[in-house]
Amino acid sequence: MPEKLSFYIQRSSAFHSLNPLTKLGLVFAFIVIAYTSPFYWTATVIFGLGVLPLAFVGRVQREFLLAALRLLVPVTGFIFIMQSLFLPGGERELFHFWVFRVTVESVAQAYLTVSRIFVMISAFILFLLTTHPSALMTDLTRRGLPGTFAYVIISTLQIIPQMQSKAQTIIAAQRSRGMETGGSLANRVRALVPLVGPLVFGSLVEVEERAIAIEARGFTSRLKKTSLYEIADTRLDRGLRWFLLGLVVLSVAARVLAG
Amino acid sequence: MKLLNSIKKDFNTMTWVLIPVAIAINVVIGQIVMVLKLPVYLDSVGTMLVGVICGPWAGALTGALANTIWGLAIDPNALPWWPVALLIGFVTGWCARGGLFRNTWKVLITGFLVALVAAAASAVVNMLLIGGITASGSSLITVYLLQTGRSMIDAVLTTNFLVEPVDKISTALLAFAIIRGLSVRYLARFPRPENAAVEKNDLVALIIGALVFVVYVILVGSFFNIMFLWVGLAVSAILVLAVVLISVLKKA
Amino acid sequence: MSIVELRNVTYQYPFSERPALEGIDLRIDEGEFVAVIGPNGAGKSSLCYTVSGFIPHFFKGELQGSVVVGGVETRQSTLAECVRRAGLAFQNPFNQISGAKYTVFEEIAFGLENLGVPREEMRARVERMLERAGIADLAGRSPYALSGGQQQRVALASILVMEPQVLVLDEPTSQMDPIGTREVFGMIKELAGRGLTVLMVEHKVEWVAAFADRVVALDGGHVIAQGRPEEVLTDPLLAERNFGLSRYTLAARAALQAGLWPAGRRLPVTLEEAVEGFKAAAA
Ligand SMILES: Nc1ncnc2c1ncn2[C@@H]1O[C@H](COP(=O)(O)OP(=O)(O)OP(=O)(O)O)[C@@H](O)[C@H]1O
Ligand SMILES: [Mg+2]
Repeated sequence: MPEKLSFYIQRSSAFHSLNPLTKLGLVFAFIVIAYTSPFYWTATVIFGLGVLPLAFVGRVQREFLLAALRLLVPVTGFIFIMQSLFLPGGERELFHFWVFRVTVESVAQAYLTVSRIFVMISAFILFLLTTHPSALMTDLTRRGLPGTFAYVIISTLQIIPQMQSKAQTIIAAQRSRGMETGGSLANRVRALVPLVGPLVFGSLVEVEERAIAIEARGFTSRLKKTSLYEIADTRLDRGLRWFLLGLVVLSVAARVLAG
Repeated sequence: MKLLNSIKKDFNTMTWVLIPVAIAINVVIGQIVMVLKLPVYLDSVGTMLVGVICGPWAGALTGALANTIWGLAIDPNALPWWPVALLIGFVTGWCARGGLFRNTWKVLITGFLVALVAAAASAVVNMLLIGGITASGSSLITVYLLQTGRSMIDAVLTTNFLVEPVDKISTALLAFAIIRGLSVRYLARFPRPENAAVEKNDLVALIIGALVFVVYVILVGSFFNIMFLWVGLAVSAILVLAVVLISVLKKA
Repeated sequence: MSIVELRNVTYQYPFSERPALEGIDLRIDEGEFVAVIGPNGAGKSSLCYTVSGFIPHFFKGELQGSVVVGGVETRQSTLAECVRRAGLAFQNPFNQISGAKYTVFEEIAFGLENLGVPREEMRARVERMLERAGIADLAGRSPYALSGGQQQRVALASILVMEPQVLVLDEPTSQMDPIGTREVFGMIKELAGRGLTVLMVEHKVEWVAAFADRVVALDGGHVIAQGRPEEVLTDPLLAERNFGLSRYTLAARAALQAGLWPAGRRLPVTLEEAVEGFKAAAA
């Protein structure tokens, strides 16, 4: 079980030191452009000349490639094969066997979809590898996001691994008591209740005390909150964000014009 | 102004503390279900729970955050589906506000309504972002249907309307079981404890609940002929209208 | 001057049949250390919640009488204002971790962020607090990766850094092992030495005897006795009502009945007093 639920790798690089909102803007710009641009190879270019080199700039190339390999390649590979095989239509047949008929069109379409998914998810992986969750939340809070959101996000990231390790303990305990987690469907459904029950009720009971604890720390105070850390936001950041916005507008416009 | 107050009402400190726990419940139950290899996901139990005891806006936020965080921290492939999760929390919340989370039959109806919305929404996300065939197991149904000569959108919709009701009804029933296990004093701290006031099974709900099964059978028929999908959805629409009408009449 | 003043306070939780507190009158002076003892369900936690404003703001229900803390009626202000005057820490150290922060330093700063304290001042206050609580070496650790005693000291520090006028403690050591208990009491002793006003619920009467200026005994939502620790903690009434008294008191009581304790001598609370008494009896 991961102690901390976070991809973040602490390194110093030019990319790390960008403002979190700039990096988030970059991610969204990449995704929107990949999905809207009328040019077939846009997503491929964004990945090859955008996301991937930035992973090197951010000095997280190793972790980036590993994460992409683990999380992205199986899924996109599966989708690529399935869509190549099964997308209906298409004239120019590449080959066929048994009931499958693979056409140039279906492969082209499958590749387009997969390249877009690749950009969407790899851009997020890059973002997460180089941005600490609390830096992001601090920055967004400073920009006016209610402080309660920061609480919810960070708290969720910390609770999930705790619950997962509790779940492991409970599963192990029930198994040692002879509960079967295999066998017939009825068996497995029956196994669900003793696993889920203690976990869910245990964690719900704590909610009240935790609410009291954060209230005791002025959580609902109406004073304007401050923050322990200052997150840098340079001229470069602001310039970049405007530039990205411009690119997005261009891409959407090109799509509209291209019909 | 009324809208703003309705949103505000959903959020007190208990809500803010419950949301992370609910998201963790989604994740952990989802993973236990995978260990047990059950043919459902059950990964929105927590979202529904928040929708019921805190309200639709809190439910919507929980759903959206759950998928975003799941996507950002565990499996990025969950990311694109956040609008579906958002709607699950939202619809559950409104059903609960309409009194549809108080006995087993009503919860079943809620589960079905949520499933209809989720099926439609996930078809949209799928068509827009993934191109129809996803990496989940249910894609095998889609693929099979494509082989029989269906169009992509037909195949995706049919798949979703087959799969979602079973999952969302089970999820709603599990959420209901959890709520019944919580004490009145505990529930009273949340913004909308009245939504969870348990009542006896009533006849009307039973009849509608039975009708849900009939509709589901019709929807299953769409596996063989797409006509059944439209018939099933038309009957569902009538059912939804009936439910709304009954609850309005009851209030009046 | 009293900093806490409860006058004829009666409170009933929603959905409950009987009041948890009934006709409570209690004044706490500035700098006073008041300990509260009582059996399970006596209303000790309810009293803590009342002083810190969670009753009625968080628990709702019906609060009668007047609760004035730092000169302000709790009912008239928001909960966030109430907790600034009377900070609350309680049993379970794990549930007091906010969850919103990754390190002890940030955790302690959380309350100051909510109060809008400027960054420089915040840093200085957190650093000072870390020193005083003896947890400066933990500053960079995750609050979840600490022992119970350390977590409880972080919890206390997180409240104290907000500089409340009164510190309310609800059995802060009840879930600690002996080492954790000693750590936490060490910190409380330091606070008491600095003249902080404290209201503390505590079962461990030997510790109570060592710190408290005054002991309040609660039972069934009523104050049944109050006064100097050595008087209240040896009150025969308490033994009859199942209060968890010190084993030295209980031993001396038994000795008194058997004629082995000097007649007229007050019963002991601590080991030293017991030894003195038995020496006197033997002489
Ligand atoms: N949230 C609640 N809702 C309703 N009744 C409550 C609630 N919390 C406590 N009570 C009741 O109020 C009474 C006083 O409880 P309280 O928790 O103040 O006692 P306590 O002295 O702190 O007990 P303990 O030693 O168990 O901590 C009890 O009868 C209890 O059952
Ligand atoms: Mg108590």
